[in-house]
Amino acid sequence: MSYLEIKDLEISFPTPKGKYIAVRDINLSIRKGEIISIIGHSGCGKSTIMNAIGGMLTPTGGSVVLDNKNIKGPGPDRGIVFQNYSLLPWLTVENNIFQAVDSVMDCSKAEKHEIVIKNLKMVNLFQHKDKLPGQLSGGMKQRVAIARAFAINPGVLLMDEPFGALDALTKGSMQLEVLKLWNLNNREKTIVMITHDIEEALFLSDRIVVLHNGPASTIREIVTVNLPRPRNKIEIVKTPEYIELRDHLLHLLTDHFSIEDMGVTYKN
Amino acid sequence: MSNSTTATIETEEIVESYSLLNTFGKVIKKESLKNASIYILEKAKSIVFACIGLTIFCGFWSLLSYYTKDSLPGPTVTLKVLYEMLSDPFYDYGPNDKGIGLQLFVSIKTVLLGFSLGSLFAIPFGILIGASSFFKKVFYPIVQFLKPVSPLAWFPIGLVVFKDTGMATIFIVFITSLWSTLINTSFGVSTIPQDHKNVAKAFGFSKWRYLTKVVFPYTLPHIITGLRLSISVAWLVIVAGEMLSGGAGIGFFVWDSWNALSLEKVISAIIIIGFVGIIFDGFFTMIENKVSYKA
Repeated sequence: MSYLEIKDLEISFPTPKGKYIAVRDINLSIRKGEIISIIGHSGCGKSTIMNAIGGMLTPTGGSVVLDNKNIKGPGPDRGIVFQNYSLLPWLTVENNIFQAVDSVMDCSKAEKHEIVIKNLKMVNLFQHKDKLPGQLSGGMKQRVAIARAFAINPGVLLMDEPFGALDALTKGSMQLEVLKLWNLNNREKTIVMITHDIEEALFLSDRIVVLHNGPASTIREIVTVNLPRPRNKIEIVKTPEYIELRDHLLHLLTDHFSIEDMGVTYKN
Repeated sequence: MSNSTTATIETEEIVESYSLLNTFGKVIKKESLKNASIYILEKAKSIVFACIGLTIFCGFWSLLSYYTKDSLPGPTVTLKVLYEMLSDPFYDYGPNDKGIGLQLFVSIKTVLLGFSLGSLFAIPFGILIGASSFFKKVFYPIVQFLKPVSPLAWFPIGLVVFKDTGMATIFIVFITSLWSTLINTSFGVSTIPQDHKNVAKAFGFSKWRYLTKVVFPYTLPHIITGLRLSISVAWLVIVAGEMLSGGAGIGFFVWDSWNALSLEKVISAIIIIGFVGIIFDGFFTMIENKVSYKA
């Protein structure tokens, strides 16, 4: 059995108009230390799957099993990086991380503080530890959120469009930052991330899960990315494997629109 | 000095440098000097404008006094009486003749006591109503029903229950202080963003940690606003309350002065009441600014 096993997952929400099925028939086996990207259009249920793994949502069908344990709620074995950082604006950078560590970890106060400091240094934010989130830039906030998720030392790191709100340059350096942390942990942390950026998915992941459009979306295809690591962003884009994968993903994500466009005649 | 500062800032991210500028604004001396002069100019301007308003107000007052053939005392006569009152505020010639300072002291004490008791009750109750839809359904209708009732209507009930006018006055201030605080607190709690709740959920915050690190800090600005509104109304009500209860306090002083046909004293008391009101409001506005945070 694999490390993280999603089996026949179905998630639906009750609405006044009846049951709304967000995702169904999701089957996914993830190895320990794998980096998985989930990609798809808006509203295709990417976040729903992630929330099910995170334990923020209870599946209405099927199961999510992590390390042979059925997931019933959030737990310290999974660290979540939310889409909009979700830092508590009244706590300093240091305290934001400390509250999570203090809540989750079972050790002395001094050790907890040590963990916080170590993780702050890891994302190069130690000199900003006494600032409030409101005084930080978007990239720095995201680094705090990532440090917070790493600090509780989870087996699985869940990231919901972690770099979606960042500019292209910051985004690039943040991707490297995550890979650096992953390498520092001997590539033992399993990372599941949501993205809608094909290049990002190709650069980071071992496998890319492409979803159908919602509602009731299912997995369309799981694309394996066999590009050797460490990947050089400038070099890999020139390799034929990369180009082939990118074109394939682009095709998977855009043909839906092309078909619809066929019915429309453009008048000049 | 300023050269090396700019050099370090250039290496940082742009957004960060903005916050550096704000936090360590004093580093760049020229800027802060300019800011200080702008600040003083703005202050001076607002004082001048306030004086213009005051002059117009006193003009109307004098006109009214002239029109009533001085049965309404004009500004100068009143200010003279006010000066006399303030020059010996703490004399005590028996129960019916006390200095304005002593009367004011009694009123402020009553307000603070009733207000504190009311707030101690309203804040936890507001958190409860805001956090639980069940409690909201059960208690909110009662709150809405009792809120518009004039606090003075509670005075007889206070008298019956406590058999003491002083306690009854504290009781009506207590009732008055409840509503704004309670409603603002519950509103604050019920509008905690899902993001913050998610953090608490994802990192397994205990109930206590959630309350002290999420609910309370998020709600604090709302609570302070509620307290500010509450103490303003409480200060309004105390004057009327003391007119009913008699014996002591600024409200009693107003009523007593009216019975003694000293309208100068009545108006002086109004001026003092207004000033105390401003101080209360200013105090809570100050706290409001202190506890507000940038998202």
